[in-house]
Amino acid sequence: MVEAAPRSIRAATALYLAAVLVFVLGPLVVVAGVSFTGGEYIAFPPQGLSLRWYEAILTSSVYVGAAWTSLKLAVVVTISATVLGAGAAIALHRGRLPATSALSALFLSPLVLPSIIFALGLLTLWSSLVGRTSFYALWLGHTVIAVPYVIRTALAVLSTSDKFLEEAARTMGAGPWKAILHVVIPQALPGIAAGAFFAFNISFDEAIVSLFLRSPEITTLPIQIYTQLEFSPDPSIAAVSTLMIGLTVLLIFVIDRVLGIQKVAG
Amino acid sequence: MTAAVHLDNVTKSFAGVQIIKGISLSIQKGEFVSLLGPSGCGKTTLLRIIAGLEEATSGSIHIGGTDSTRLPPEQRDIAMVFQSYALLPHLTVLENVMFPLRMRKLGNRAEQRERAEAALKLVQLSHLAQRRPRQLSGGQQQRVAVARAIVSSPQVLLLDEPLSNLDARLRESMQEELIQLHRQTGLTTVFVTHDQEEALSLSDRVVLLNAGLIEQEGIPDELYVAPHSRFAASFMGSTNLLEVHLEPSGDGARALLPAGQSLVLGGAPHKRGKATVMVRQEDVRLAPASAGAAATATLVTRIFLGSRTRYVLDLDGHMIRCLAPADQHFDVGEKVSVLIQPDRIRVLAD
Repeated sequence: MVEAAPRSIRAATALYLAAVLVFVLGPLVVVAGVSFTGGEYIAFPPQGLSLRWYEAILTSSVYVGAAWTSLKLAVVVTISATVLGAGAAIALHRGRLPATSALSALFLSPLVLPSIIFALGLLTLWSSLVGRTSFYALWLGHTVIAVPYVIRTALAVLSTSDKFLEEAARTMGAGPWKAILHVVIPQALPGIAAGAFFAFNISFDEAIVSLFLRSPEITTLPIQIYTQLEFSPDPSIAAVSTLMIGLTVLLIFVIDRVLGIQKVAG
Repeated sequence: MTAAVHLDNVTKSFAGVQIIKGISLSIQKGEFVSLLGPSGCGKTTLLRIIAGLEEATSGSIHIGGTDSTRLPPEQRDIAMVFQSYALLPHLTVLENVMFPLRMRKLGNRAEQRERAEAALKLVQLSHLAQRRPRQLSGGQQQRVAVARAIVSSPQVLLLDEPLSNLDARLRESMQEELIQLHRQTGLTTVFVTHDQEEALSLSDRVVLLNAGLIEQEGIPDELYVAPHSRFAASFMGSTNLLEVHLEPSGDGARALLPAGQSLVLGGAPHKRGKATVMVRQEDVRLAPASAGAAATATLVTRIFLGSRTRYVLDLDGHMIRCLAPADQHFDVGEKVSVLIQPDRIRVLAD
């Protein structure tokens, strides 16, 4: 730390830190607080402490069904987005494709494209080509949104690795596929794992595409929360949200442990 | 006997620009050959063509008698040490050295391990077998790369400026180790470098490249003592190049300097007219100025080097450099006689 930092800068830093705490952590604290209320209404501070809303959601077939759908969806999206994203990142990194920069922009476009426009487009396209929306439509939609994150994290790691490793593997008797399997993928692994983590979270949290593509049979957790909030708001929403936050924190912890080990070992 | 590596009229173009302009070269089994030249001369490209990492635009490459022109690198019996060493960071040192054996399916796991350990022993790194590459110093990484390259006993060992990332002292000791290793393994070796001293000290034969063509090739002494061209002379070391006018004199010839002084040439009769002559700085001898001397020069700079002293002289407008014994002392501004053995002055071809 620079010892001679001027007062004004130190004050600004403190202010910034406080703002982060209030605006980032504040809502989480409020939601978690509300979830433990004993009362009937969403109110902060909570009225009395109780786990009744947790009991309510865990015994609710609607919530449990939605959670199960979200989980299944997040898992398949993680797999598809990771495979596609890692493959695309490796191809882009090697830079032997024509128009690499144009392809790269295309792959990453879902990051900047408003997802509401993408959702509308996908709904229209799906309806005219396939018909009724389904789990597969959501899978496709979430995958498109998640892939750029995997590409970016994998590319970031690959760009720092020795670009001669793949060639070196070839001179050591590895064919093109073996070189990718034994050399390129292990190099990109921390980035691929981080990307998979993002993909899971994005799918698990995603509301806009899911809202457009939902049908009575497939309701994801965010959609269930949204519906509940719209028609009969009660603290069960807060309880679900708190569980979702908990799952995310757990994932971050696991990923950090795994990637942390990777960094030490690799 | 078939050559270990045979290149026949190889060319290479990138985006319409010819980098290699037709190179033919035969490397004998067990030979240590250096590809020497300035950056951009095509030496690394030529090495990559032998490795199969680049495909020749035309011409053919035979490795161990097999036409390898269109073979991918993994099907050529080669090994390469990269400038960056290209060690696999996720594997241990031992696993790195075993990697070529695994990929080429040479022997079972136990045999692979044994061979890798033997290779590590050869580069004196047995004690670091379980480390990761990033835990090693540059010199150690370099030796792992060498062990990994020799472990599969390839037909040809390709080295791409492997010493350029090491500091001067380490580079010197690695040169000695490479010479020893080459003697022990007898591997045919192609060594790419831009450092003429490295090429001279390591190789059986030096191939000097310039702008995609072989400028001159031969044993190190020959290249050093008898460069054919101005380029070869200036690239092969500290040397003086003088623009002169040749004319016959008695039964020999002499070289006229711009201001009318002259140097006596030895050997066979030379062509007349304008020419470039070469004199090595260690072949220029100085003496106190005397009336009868062949040429007189003014001393411009004196640099004490310890064992010797380097002087820069103004000889008729040509700045020439000379290495004199340390016990010989002249002062800046002094006039001195310049004595050069006639057979030490080479007339260059171009």
